[in-house]
Amino acid sequence: MSTLPLAASDGGARFPGFSSAGQAKHWDTATASVVMARLGRPPEIHFFTPAQEAAAGALCNQLLDQREEPRVPVTAMIDARLAAQETDGWHYEDMPVDAQAWRQTLAALDDEARFRCGAVFAAATWHEQTRLLQGIQNLGPAPWHGIPAKQVWSLWTRYACTAFYSHPWAWDEIGFAGPAYPRGYKNMGVDALEPFEVRDVHPGDDPVRGKKGSP
Amino acid sequence: MSNVRERNESAWLLPAGPGTNHGLREQMRRFADDDEVDIVIVGCGAGGSTLLQRLARAGWRAVALDAGPFWDPERDWVSDEAGSHHLYWTEPRVIAGSDPVPLGSNNSGRGVGGSMVHYAGYVPRFHPSDFRTRALDGVGADWPLQYQDLKHYYQDIEEELPVAGEHWPWGDPHGYPHRPHPVSGNGELFQRGAMATGITAKVGPVAISNGRFGNRPHCIYRGFCLQGCKVNAKASPLITHIPDALAHGAEVRPDSMVTGVEVDARTGLSTGVHYVHQGVPRFQRARMVAVAGYSIETPRLLLNSTSARFPDGLCNDFDQVGRYLMVQGAPQTAGRFDAEVRMWKGPPPEVSSEEFYETDPTKPYKRGFSIQTVSPLPITWAEHVMAQGHWGAALRNYMSDYVHWACLGALCEFLPQAENRVTLATELDRHGLPVARFSYSQCENDGALMKAAREKMELILTAAGADEVITIDRYAHLVGGARMAATAEHGVVDADCRSFAVPNLLITDGSVLPTQGSANPALTIMAVAARAADRLLINGAASRSN
Repeated sequence: MSTLPLAASDGGARFPGFSSAGQAKHWDTATASVVMARLGRPPEIHFFTPAQEAAAGALCNQLLDQREEPRVPVTAMIDARLAAQETDGWHYEDMPVDAQAWRQTLAALDDEARFRCGAVFAAATWHEQTRLLQGIQNLGPAPWHGIPAKQVWSLWTRYACTAFYSHPWAWDEIGFAGPAYPRGYKNMGVDALEPFEVRDVHPGDDPVRGKKGSP
Repeated sequence: MSNVRERNESAWLLPAGPGTNHGLREQMRRFADDDEVDIVIVGCGAGGSTLLQRLARAGWRAVALDAGPFWDPERDWVSDEAGSHHLYWTEPRVIAGSDPVPLGSNNSGRGVGGSMVHYAGYVPRFHPSDFRTRALDGVGADWPLQYQDLKHYYQDIEEELPVAGEHWPWGDPHGYPHRPHPVSGNGELFQRGAMATGITAKVGPVAISNGRFGNRPHCIYRGFCLQGCKVNAKASPLITHIPDALAHGAEVRPDSMVTGVEVDARTGLSTGVHYVHQGVPRFQRARMVAVAGYSIETPRLLLNSTSARFPDGLCNDFDQVGRYLMVQGAPQTAGRFDAEVRMWKGPPPEVSSEEFYETDPTKPYKRGFSIQTVSPLPITWAEHVMAQGHWGAALRNYMSDYVHWACLGALCEFLPQAENRVTLATELDRHGLPVARFSYSQCENDGALMKAAREKMELILTAAGADEVITIDRYAHLVGGARMAATAEHGVVDADCRSFAVPNLLITDGSVLPTQGSANPALTIMAVAARAADRLLINGAASRSN
């Protein structure tokens, strides 16, 4: 099992030795086949063009702070959903359907990067990418390349989070044990853990309040 | 409880333990398209399945069509969030208005069992006041029936699901057939915060059997209620009404998308429905038709069913179809505790409060809200954190803190408004039919309720010991869109769910509800359908004896 690189100061290493996939022998076969497939070879790219793939890759690395390998293959997982038209079906009246919206907004991202940084989004520096994205998020309901920025932001983050937090490596990082059938839980209640759960070793690492003990 | 098996044997027709009675499905009666069945029902969710079971028991030759599959939970459902996307209705739709409402996930259903397959399991009754909000509070609408008309149907359905919970002190006070479940860390913190603030909170009411019910096993508290209950502990019509219906000669025809309701130009009566099965257009003849496709697809089907008599859509003489569609405002507040909550353990539906349900004359807004435990799994929790504006490193850091958060959700009674409605878009689906366009805009009262609910939830979690609280705005549930009314000028169906325009056409789903209260709608949808079945049987008997 791989551990995603995340510094302890950024919330990493809170559940030492915990492996959700290590519990797979307790899962039902239908669930195990769906979840374990995510640990296999990522699907080939079928939907994005190479340019879109590059932009989506850089975008997803930013949104999920995946700076180095091993990474959850978020871009390939999003591509697979779009290729299979696995969407929620709805679209805003002032925005195209998800597949087209992805193509259109990734192209806009490259246009914007060329204008601001002199290179496509994927070729811009990490810092430039971060600033550019923060600028888009800050627009809120105002339009960005003809679409309300908050709807673009929602599209990107929705797909990125769904892919990332469906992956057992991400579950390991947050202490979530994943599927729970047919075993279920027997120790419920505040601070009540199952034998296979691992306690947080940095319980004071509260992202809202700030790090306890830090200056 | 004594006679529930005599009324509805579903729980005894399932295998002992998890699983499906495959024999019952294999031996299911099958009607031919040109058999004129007594009734064809469109949609096998809360409303359609209840109607089917009641009429099959009474000896009717009944067929229910559903656009989605006839689920086999052991094979088709998984204990996984992203892997459960197929439980939703994901056909194309357009959303609009000043507060567009995303569709297709928690507020949609697909396949036999409908959205109750993935609902949390909360099944509160409506309060008596919900049926008279116009008379009492000058807002919303008055139903053409009263709470008392539904009361014994509520009791019946509560026994059939069955419902577990503490004695319920709100609305019309009542008890539940099963004792309350033990609660998890999340429920415990709600109780702690409620006690500290002097707010009454109760365990339940949830449609999860506490103890064995028929052959259905006890809940294992695995926390994946929203992904379909593989255990058979949480109620959905797939296990609470469909087995009994099949045993009494009903047919369920899955993977059958209904595209139009046919009406005879000469008699003005419906003659059956057009549907597509495996790409082949077919027509099921029927003596009566009941539409139960829920608040988006029911109006869409009516609007797409045009004829010389109904050029603007079936039953749409007074431009009522698709109107007064409601969602509930569902703000979600999370609180951070140094202790480990692990809110994903145990069913999301555990504890609720209806203390703020009714109009408070000291407040500037009408009607109210309820508060319930919710416990988002990682993807849904990430959406909550993202909605706070966090992304990148901050998102990962927040998410690593998941074990420390507890979460409450409110249901705010948004008011019915004529312009919140389904119309047809220019866009077509794969069958070549115009898709639904759903426009939604909040009114001032809606916004005030969201704010009040948020403040109350933040107060509770803070009193429970949370050092920080964060709230996001979201929506839940759909009702209305083909509401019942006293007269044809104000609605689409009467109190018995019979359409004003076509005497042998019924609508038996959530779209007939004129108001929504702050209650999850499933139980009321089932009760209304059960009552419609009774009325049909009584009126049918009367007309036969005449």
